[in-house]
Amino acid sequence: MDGPTLVERYFAMVRMRRFEEACLAGVPTREIHGELHIGIGQEAVAAAMIGTLRDDDALVSTHRNHLHALAKGVPAQPMLAEIYERATGLCGGFGGHMHLFDLERRFSTTGIVGSTLPVALGHAYAARIEGRDSVAVGVTGDGGANTGGFHESLNMAGAWRLPLVVLIENNEWAISVPFEESTATPTLAERAAAYGAWGRRVDGLDVEAVAEAFGEAVAHARAGHGPAVLEATCYRFRGHYEGDLDLYRPAGEKDRRRQEQDPLSLTRERILARGAATGAELDAGEEEAAAAIAAMLAAVRADPMPDPATARDHVFAGAAAQKGLI
Amino acid sequence: MNTGTAVRNINVSQSIAESLRLEMERDSRVLVLGEDVGLQGGVFGSTRGLQKAFGRDRVRDTPISEMAFTGMAVGLAMEGYRPVVEIMFVDFVGVCLEQVYNAAAKIRYMTGGRVAMPMVIKTAGGCIGSAAQHSQCLWGTFAHLPGLKVVAPSSPYDSKGLMAAAVESDDPVVFIEHKGLLLQKAGSFAHGAEVPRERYTVPLGQAAVVRPGTDLTLVTLSATVGESLAAAGELAAEGVDVEVVDLRSVVPLDLDTVAASVARTGRLLVVDEDYLGFGLSGEVVTGVIERLGPQALRQVARHGTPDVPVPAAITLEQAVVPRRASIGQAVRAMGAAS
Ligand SMILES: Cc1ncc(C[n+]2csc(CCOP(=O)(O)OP(=O)(O)O)c2C)c(N)n1
Repeated sequence: MDGPTLVERYFAMVRMRRFEEACLAGVPTREIHGELHIGIGQEAVAAAMIGTLRDDDALVSTHRNHLHALAKGVPAQPMLAEIYERATGLCGGFGGHMHLFDLERRFSTTGIVGSTLPVALGHAYAARIEGRDSVAVGVTGDGGANTGGFHESLNMAGAWRLPLVVLIENNEWAISVPFEESTATPTLAERAAAYGAWGRRVDGLDVEAVAEAFGEAVAHARAGHGPAVLEATCYRFRGHYEGDLDLYRPAGEKDRRRQEQDPLSLTRERILARGAATGAELDAGEEEAAAAIAAMLAAVRADPMPDPATARDHVFAGAAAQKGLI
Repeated sequence: MNTGTAVRNINVSQSIAESLRLEMERDSRVLVLGEDVGLQGGVFGSTRGLQKAFGRDRVRDTPISEMAFTGMAVGLAMEGYRPVVEIMFVDFVGVCLEQVYNAAAKIRYMTGGRVAMPMVIKTAGGCIGSAAQHSQCLWGTFAHLPGLKVVAPSSPYDSKGLMAAAVESDDPVVFIEHKGLLLQKAGSFAHGAEVPRERYTVPLGQAAVVRPGTDLTLVTLSATVGESLAAAGELAAEGVDVEVVDLRSVVPLDLDTVAASVARTGRLLVVDEDYLGFGLSGEVVTGVIERLGPQALRQVARHGTPDVPVPAAITLEQAVVPRRASIGQAVRAMGAAS
């Protein structure tokens, strides 16, 4: 399959970055409540999925999910509206920034670490019994890979050869706990062998390398060869959530990584080095992306908040509240 | 509660960390396990300084493996340790609930009383605008399971003293801090603001009358104690004198204190941030009726979070979670002025 060009992937990453910056704007203004998790610095992993995943493939994501949603093609404006708790949001303001759902694109999330893979397993099984060649991607962080759900799901997928693709974003930290202090092996990809799965570790700052590896993982699962585990190494640029003082990581190290290992600048440099686009072209595209997101944010901010009278809707199918169930 | 001593303006999480430090100094068998409890000292700071003071064997950062480390606490307790396990938010307990209600809660009973289970499951509950999976209280869930003591303090003073009592207890205690209170400074509390430096305990299962009143007994716990006190202040200006009872623990449930109050006021309102159905409020009302007989109550009402997941949007959250204004309304609806 012909995937997006490097320049197209770059602009996808730029839109992701601008989108999350638009989310950041709602925190100090108290338009967004709760623990907002931002994936700035991890865009290359998400952007690498574009072109490989289809609408009929499922993607189950984590607490840090905005980039994955954008990569899956979830429309940005209702997403931003959901994050801003608006009635026009993807889930009408009932879900919130950590719980984005888009049925048509088979995209869902959970705020409970380790709970992504079991759900992805269900999508994978559905594809199998319906004879579809769809895959289910379950995303987890390196921290989430230490939960029971990770092991149980991969074992079942391995035993039953289900089309489960586990994408691990290894950003080196689970809140304040570093990867090497919480995991028994030097990599997570090497666990694949225990589940009879395809496994590989890739540089998650290199969008082309991840795209290539992700394509292979999905092809493996799509072809009916069973599960795949792709570990993409990256780094979390901001605190675990907005408001996290982030004192467990040395500030100097953080600054250096942000300076030298920003997947956006790395990709931009690569494009320029290859002559795939000129600096002026990239600048123009970046400005366009910024303007589009700014306009989207302004529109979302003008949207209404959910009506308090609807707070008891949706607990059950139909008019449960009227029947006196709630 | 004001005895004229200067308030140490520590926050609730510091009062808990101080309590744990004193328990660990007293008893080398006390251990702390959980995510981010060591190096960071907890996401709210309620284990801050402990790893430095007691080392990594006694204060340990775990992987995100709640089933394993909660079960590990059960084994440690059987080895004679007194583990304190932190489940960061009570909402996450689902992934290790088996270890909580089939192991921790039942082993004493199943062994004919031979095995003690002195562990504390320390966790944070309550609603802070964090939507359905991060805003639950769940004390009613734990209270339903025999064998678990369930504590939910409302003030800095109680947080320190109840934690000491929980660690000292030979039974498993689910200790539910409130996310909205942990970073609040003692000085901002209308009750229980003074936290002595030295060790003390607040016994498990003893409710406190935090505001005496004559017209109505308002029973609550955790963060809604503060909300209820604020509402009671407003109601006083309207001529309604509300007595506020802080349960402090759900198991054991101090129905004697509640019943004594209702016997005086004749009116009972239970305010609960937890889900309304099949929970604390029904238990309190029934328990009071069993003690006093239905004729002793002129009025009974409940005000809790309806059986609805806590919605994300703040406008929706405010429509379902009891807070100062809605508590005031609930009292007014009872027409309680004598
Ligand atoms: C079962 C469970 N335990 C703990 C948490 C609290 N928590 C949320 S995110 C997180 C760290 C996750 O680390 P990782 O999986 O590496 O993802 P990252 O945040 O680094 O993207 C923790 C401990 C949770 N949400 N669910």
